[in-house]
Formats: sequence, structure tokens, C-alpha cells
Amino acid sequence: MEIRPILSALLRSKVSMILIGLQVALTLAIVSNALFIVSERLERMQRPSGMNEADTFLFNSTGFGQGYDVKSVQQGDLQLLRGLPGVVDATSIISVPMSESGWSTGVSLQPRQATSTANTALYMVDAHGLSSYGLKLVEGRDFRPEEIGFRSMNDRNVPTTVIITRALAARLFPQGGALGKQVYYDNEGPPTTIIGIVDHLQTPWLDADFIDNSSLMPAYLPYGNVTRYLVRAEPGRRDEVMQGVEQAMIQANPSRIIGRVRTMEQVRADGYAGDRAMAIILGAVIVALLAITALGIVGMASFWVAQRTRQIGTRRALGATRWDILRYFHTENFIITTLGLVVGGVLAYALSLWLMREYQAPRLPWHYVPVGFACLWLLGQLAVLGPALRASRVPPALATRSV
Amino acid sequence: MLTMTHLQKVYRTHLIETYALRDFSIRVEEGEFVAVTGPSGSGKTTFLNICGLLEEFTAGQYQLDGVDVRGLGDSARSRLRNEKIGFIFQSFNLIPDLNLFDNVDVPLRYRRIAAGERKRRIEEALARVGLASRMKHYPSELSGGQQQRVAIARALAGSPRLLLADEPTGNLDSLMARGVMELLEEINRQGTTIVMVTHDPELAARAHRNVHVIDGQVTDFDSEPMLVRSVRDGDASRAMA
Ligand SMILES: Nc1ncnc2c1ncn2[C@@H]1O[C@H](COP(=O)(O)OP(=O)(O)OP(=O)(O)O)[C@@H](O)[C@H]1O
Ligand SMILES: [Mg+2]
Repeated sequence: MEIRPILSALLRSKVSMILIGLQVALTLAIVSNALFIVSERLERMQRPSGMNEADTFLFNSTGFGQGYDVKSVQQGDLQLLRGLPGVVDATSIISVPMSESGWSTGVSLQPRQATSTANTALYMVDAHGLSSYGLKLVEGRDFRPEEIGFRSMNDRNVPTTVIITRALAARLFPQGGALGKQVYYDNEGPPTTIIGIVDHLQTPWLDADFIDNSSLMPAYLPYGNVTRYLVRAEPGRRDEVMQGVEQAMIQANPSRIIGRVRTMEQVRADGYAGDRAMAIILGAVIVALLAITALGIVGMASFWVAQRTRQIGTRRALGATRWDILRYFHTENFIITTLGLVVGGVLAYALSLWLMREYQAPRLPWHYVPVGFACLWLLGQLAVLGPALRASRVPPALATRSV
Repeated sequence: MLTMTHLQKVYRTHLIETYALRDFSIRVEEGEFVAVTGPSGSGKTTFLNICGLLEEFTAGQYQLDGVDVRGLGDSARSRLRNEKIGFIFQSFNLIPDLNLFDNVDVPLRYRRIAAGERKRRIEEALARVGLASRMKHYPSELSGGQQQRVAIARALAGSPRLLLADEPTGNLDSLMARGVMELLEEINRQGTTIVMVTHDPELAARAHRNVHVIDGQVTDFDSEPMLVRSVRDGDASRAMA
């Protein structure tokens, strides 16, 4: 069984061959690009935030009524939280990674610099910040309790000390030696000294191009009567701590409302909800396209087998073994699929170029197309197996019996 | 060439059993031209199918060219079919999507013959049936008689020892039928054994021997082979006269 006679026979029924070939081509083009987008999204979702996500949760406390003193409540709350059984540490915060809301600013090396040297997210923490977020200090030191000041929203005074991420340090001082250097978070104001460098902490914004540039500043920053806390539990005890926390807070001070207590895992799930939805939708599209193509091949091959029953019987009578018949249909499918895949490979790159132009998508890595080739070859061979087996069971006597 | 003794073929469907052949015994010698006649449904095609290993039989013995074919597997049967037997069908059974060259090529490819040798054989076989000039044509572009000639070329290309034909002229008018018959006679003269089922008494009369089948049994007293050589000699002397 060779390719040439099968191909010339196929060319006599061009329409069905072209239909299946085109289906294979479109499937390859769409599936390879969709698969790439899915893998990109999955990769994006794998990015570490830099903080401990497994054991941490956060919540807001909103005070009301006359005489509610947010500062004293905050101090009391922190004390109480840190004393709860199962709690490793707690801190007051303004934001967490993946939450899509927070503060950012530019950092400059010189005062009154026209454009800042880098962008950074701002995290306000106290001396328990590093331990509550679960950050790894790689250089310098943590904040001292006496460095932490109360700040209000429109306070222009920038703290004089800061801890930054390694990525931000590298951005500001590519030559290294960021520790101890002075930088400007406020163009007009006094400089801030870098006293520590942490390994990694993402900004709150997943799409930020400066996602790894974060700065931690020593400050309590209530938002009106709203304070937000981040609590880190001992490994495995997060849910247990979470359950009692609202009760404990209200007991300590009833004139307030505790907002929804959310784990960092929920924050991550919400932050990447869009990516996950995209991955699921495209995954479904991929599965559907592959299924439709496979069914198309099964249908076409079944039709061809039925149409050629007599011919198959004749071939058997002329000496074809069952195996020869099986191989005939597999070879035929291989030819159609290969022709479709060649067209599909070109289409795949064309679609990728279009996505790059219209949506600034990254270029489809070349290896997706050969991998798609292999998958569709396999799919085609599997799809044709059923009809081909049916063909191989056509009895040779059919050659003399059928009219 | 082939010997069947007490052969039996039963078709079983869920309700009925049909005895297509019962106690069927026959010998065909190398070089014979046997015509099989009989009423419709008497078992002629069944006999031919079993001869050509297209069907298995339920009881009895069958030796093809000295080989006991009982119990041979599907692949072995396919190979024997391919190497020893050529088939000619009533409705030609050419493959419509292949041109004449590729049609004749089909059994040769199953024998895994090298390309050059195949080409030589195909051209020779098509030349022998007078269609060498139409190799690139498709079956639908030929008359029935020409299609049957291609089928004969396809059977000949593999140089079979035994040619089996089931009503090869059944779909042809008498002129074309005579042409096909002459071709078969010529093939037989060159040494190929032929067993042909036919309804046409005139054609049957031209064979060396007639086997009459009724109700799945050979009824003719003429079922033992006669001396082939003497027939050939007879032909030759007639030609000289
Ligand atoms: N596949 C089958 N299943 C059941 N019965 C069958 C089958 N094939 C043939 N028969 C029966 O076997 C008997 C012999 O059939 P066969 O085809 O050999 O007859 P035939 O002599 O060739 O007839 P015709 O001259 O009409 O071609 C018939 O009664 C037929 O109905
Ligand atoms: Mg018949």
C-alpha cells in the first residue's frame, strides 16, 4: 500500500477531502493558538505573590459612633490579634498583592527629577509587617517599633526609612548596593533611606509592568474609621483562627462592623478569575474543536467505508489481508490530515501574527505547531480506527455476492 | 489443480440453515477449462467462492494445488489467493477511482512486487487484452467489454495458476461476450486452469468439460477430468484442418 494510488483516488473525491482537510487546518490553527494562550494564562496564574498565602487572611474593621478612637482601637486590635491562639503575627495594612487596589508612586534618585526612576507599590506596615506577610528579608533590617508613625490620608510627610523588594532595588541601582542609599518618594520632600531588602513582593496590580517593585513603609494609616488587618496563622490553623476572629473583635469593641474575612487564597482566586475563565473557555473551545474534527473524520471515514464496501471486498478477493485494508484507511487519513496540517501550520502563524497586531499578544512559540501536528495526526489515526476496523471485517465473498 | 471431496457448505442465519453445497466432490486438473452450469441458487457461486478461498466451508476436504486449505488463517488465505488465483467477476469490480494502470496494479501491490517489475507486468497484461493505449483512462470511460478485459488483465498480471470467473459474460452482449470468451480460451491455451460459471450453454459448450450443479451437488457424469492433452491436440488438429 503506497501513498500515490491512494492520493490519486482521493483526488477523485476532492470535495470531501478538502472539507476534512480544511477542518483539520482550522483546528490546528485555532487549537495551537488557543493552547498557547491557555498555557500563558496558567503560567501567569502560577506567579508567586512573594507573601505567605496559605496561612494568611485579612479583614476590615469599620468603627461607628461618637468617641470611636481609631488609633486606640487599632493598637488594641493588634494586641488582641497577636494574642489569639494559633496566630503567628498580625499587622495593619492598606493592601495585599493580587487585590487590584492600593497605592503606587514614583521613586527617584534625585530630588525634583523630571521623570521618576521607577514605579513602586506602597505597603504601609508596622514592625510586624514582614513577619505577617511572611516576607524574607535578604539584606538590612526590619522596622523598629519606634519608627512606626500614625499617618493620615493627606499627610505629605514620607517616612524616612523604607524596605524595598530586590526587583525594585535592582531597578534603582543596577550596579547593586541599594542598601543604605537614599531615594526620593516625594519629589519635594526629604529623602528616604533604604534600610532593608526583601526577596519578593508583588504589587496589588496583576497587570502592572512594575509588578515586582514594592516598597514597605513604617506607618499606621487608617482610612477614616476603617482599619484593615492581615493575620498570619500557624500552618494549618488558618481556618480555625478565622472562625473566631470576628467574635473576638466585636467583643473587644462592639461599636464597629467587621467586613468579610477573606483568605489570601480567595484574594488570589478573585485576582485571577478572568485568567481562569479565559483558560476554561479556551480549553472548552479546544476540546470542542478536537471533538468536532474527530467526529468529522469518523463520519467521513464511515461514509467512505460504506460507499466502498464492494471495492473493499474486491481488494480482499485480490489478496489484501485485513491488515492491508486497515492500513489503507489509516494511510488515507494520514494523507488528508497531513495536507490539512500543512495549510493549518501556515494559518496558525497567520492567526498568531494577527493576534500580535490586534491584541499585542506575544508571538506563538514555534514548537506549538509541530506539537499540534503530532496531536492531530494521532487524533486522526484514532478517529479513523473504528471505521477502518469495520472495513477490515468486510468479507472477501462480498466481491461475488454484491450486485 | 484442485480437489474437493464431500464438501459441505451450510449458511446459518438465526432461523434457517441453507445447504448451499452438500457432499460436493470435484477434481480439476492443471490446464483444464471447466464450465460450471446449473440453475439459479444451485450453489455455483458458493463453489467458486470456496475454490478461491473467499469463503470457508463447513465440512469435507479441499486441496488447492496440493495444499490442504482447511484451517488456514486469514492472512495465509489472502496470500494464497493473491499468488495462485485470479478472479473475474460478473460485474467487473474495477475500482472506479483508479485508472486502468492502477487497477491492474492492485493485486501486485499486495504481493509487494518491486515497482519496475509491476510496471512491466501491468503493461504486458494490458497489452494482452488490447488496452495498452488506455492505461490512463478510468473504468467509467470504457465499455462493459473493455472493463471486463481490464479485469482479466488484472487477474493475469499476477500470473495465477487458477482463474476463477463467475459469469464473466453475464453483463455483456453476445458480441462482447464472445470476445471475452476468446480471450479466456487463449489464456487457457497458455496453461492457466480456468473454472468458469456460466448460464450461457453456447459458452459452456466451448469449455473442455461441463460440471452441472443442482441443489448443491455435482450431478453430471462428466465430473471426472478428461485428458487435457488430447483436447489440446484436438484443437490443434482442428486448426490445421
Ligand atoms: N450469505 C448467505 N447467507 C445465506 N444463504 C446464502 C448466502 N449466500 C448464498 N446463500 C444461499 O446458498 C444457495 C446457493 O447460492 P449461490 O449463490 O451459490 O447460487 P448460484 O448457483 O450462484 O445462483 P445464481 O445462478 O443465481 O448466481 C442459495 O440458496 C442462496 O440463497
Ligand atoms: Mg451465482
